[in-house]
Amino acid sequence: MFFESLAVALIATFFQLDMLCSQTFAFMYVLPSWLVGVVLGDPMTGLQMGATVQLMSFGVAGLGGSSVPDYNKAGMIGTAIAILTGQDFSVGLAVGIAVGMLFMQADIVCKIFNGFVGKWSQNYARQGNYKMMIRTIYLGPIVYGLFSFVPVFIAVYFGVDIVNLILEAMPAWFTTGLSVAGGMLPVVGMAMLLTYMPAKKFISFLIVGYVLASYVGLAVLPIALIGIACAYEYYKLHANDLAAATATVAMEGELEDE
Amino acid sequence: MSNETTKNVDMTEIPEKLPDGTYEPVLTKKDLRRVARRWNINISTYSYTYQEACSVVYATWPALQKIYRGDEEGLKNSLEYAYRYFNVTPPVAGLLLGAGLAIEDQRHNDGLAAEQDLKVGLMGSLSGVADTIIWVLIPTILGSISAYMAQNGNIFGMIAFALYGIVFLAWRIYSFWGYGYDLGTQLISKLADKISVFTESVSVLGLMVVGALIPSVVKITCGLNFQMGDVSMSVQEGVLDAILPSLLPIVATAICYTLLKKRVSMNLIIIGIIVVSLLGAVTGVLVVPA
Repeated sequence: MFFESLAVALIATFFQLDMLCSQTFAFMYVLPSWLVGVVLGDPMTGLQMGATVQLMSFGVAGLGGSSVPDYNKAGMIGTAIAILTGQDFSVGLAVGIAVGMLFMQADIVCKIFNGFVGKWSQNYARQGNYKMMIRTIYLGPIVYGLFSFVPVFIAVYFGVDIVNLILEAMPAWFTTGLSVAGGMLPVVGMAMLLTYMPAKKFISFLIVGYVLASYVGLAVLPIALIGIACAYEYYKLHANDLAAATATVAMEGELEDE
Repeated sequence: MSNETTKNVDMTEIPEKLPDGTYEPVLTKKDLRRVARRWNINISTYSYTYQEACSVVYATWPALQKIYRGDEEGLKNSLEYAYRYFNVTPPVAGLLLGAGLAIEDQRHNDGLAAEQDLKVGLMGSLSGVADTIIWVLIPTILGSISAYMAQNGNIFGMIAFALYGIVFLAWRIYSFWGYGYDLGTQLISKLADKISVFTESVSVLGLMVVGALIPSVVKITCGLNFQMGDVSMSVQEGVLDAILPSLLPIVATAICYTLLKKRVSMNLIIIGIIVVSLLGAVTGVLVVPA
């Protein structure tokens, strides 16, 4: 059991760091579960589990820094539990999703910790200690890696018992509440995006986008195309204003050139 | 991008200002690829206060060292700007950060303000578009294909998805930051006085996309039922949806936006959302969205 747990924890840590770093396999939930299945000798269960969490995940991307349930680990732990305990597929899935919800909290903790890392690193930069400035930044991925490795190892090694223990301690309203939060949290990302943009000045375009999506029922890509059209016209209109203004100045200055 | 002759710069020689107030650019394609590789520390440094800024510092560090060789004061000023909040869809960061490096490469500290304007001015709009395409559209298409195939025991869809990821990553490292750098060079030479109009136009696009995203990304559902005699009516379907589709997500976005504008910390807002969700779940006011 030790080596199986170690293998699953290592795979989980690899995909966690990939999701946060190179993002090569971002949002690919089938692959990690399948790998866990291969390592534990039952690729089919891995594929099914991965497919299920992939389909569950749609519409829940962690945009603008919001934390979302960790579907990757949900799939991997679900696969491991289902294979190692010989329990039904749905038991593995339920445990996996519950653990994925817990990882959402771990993610928030890591992001808060990284705030301190940033502060330390910037202090080193101000002191001119550039070696430590860079080294301190490595704490981010290290802590994220540990937060991935240790819980996954524990969950798989101690198996269904400890997860059930945690789950029994977690009342239904709590898990429902977390799911509700999962639906609501992307609002932070959206609001964050808006604060970076001249939302007040161009509120009309915000409304147009909303109406096209909600009432007209267009997908985002056609809406983006309409957006490009509006942006282009806006640019032409105002760039010409600028050009005209510059031209007037030039005319006044160098009339002989005209 | 500078040519081969400037590839090897003397790291101790202090950069000299040219007569027109700019500096000789020193960054090469190779430097930009190095920065692109280092950008892969990415959101593992993400915090609510700095967002991706620590990764900006980490990634651009070798380039900044080269630009400000022998000019410690300039380097320190530049780092102060690099630590300022920055948040963009990570795979397309090279476009803005590469453009920023191009500006700094030519103007050094004189370009820091323009660089900051460009980064902050475009990151929201660019994220709106890039999030939609890279994090929502493509994973939904490739993810559903690989999931449906996997349910039948077929790993081909999964492999195709993984190959896409590898190719996309290689392209980002190999050439993407170069586009950013070229964009930056063009922006300051051709658009010079039009940069503000340009960022505003991109905002038009960005806001339209965000307007479309809010109802599809944010999911809040009310679980209450009105009981009038024998007739029961769902508040969500009978009242809220009748007033305005996605009314709750819009109200939530407006509240969240106002709080962020008032500099309420993001941690507090997130904790607030979790508390509201838990309370909503206990009382049955909020239910898991369908």
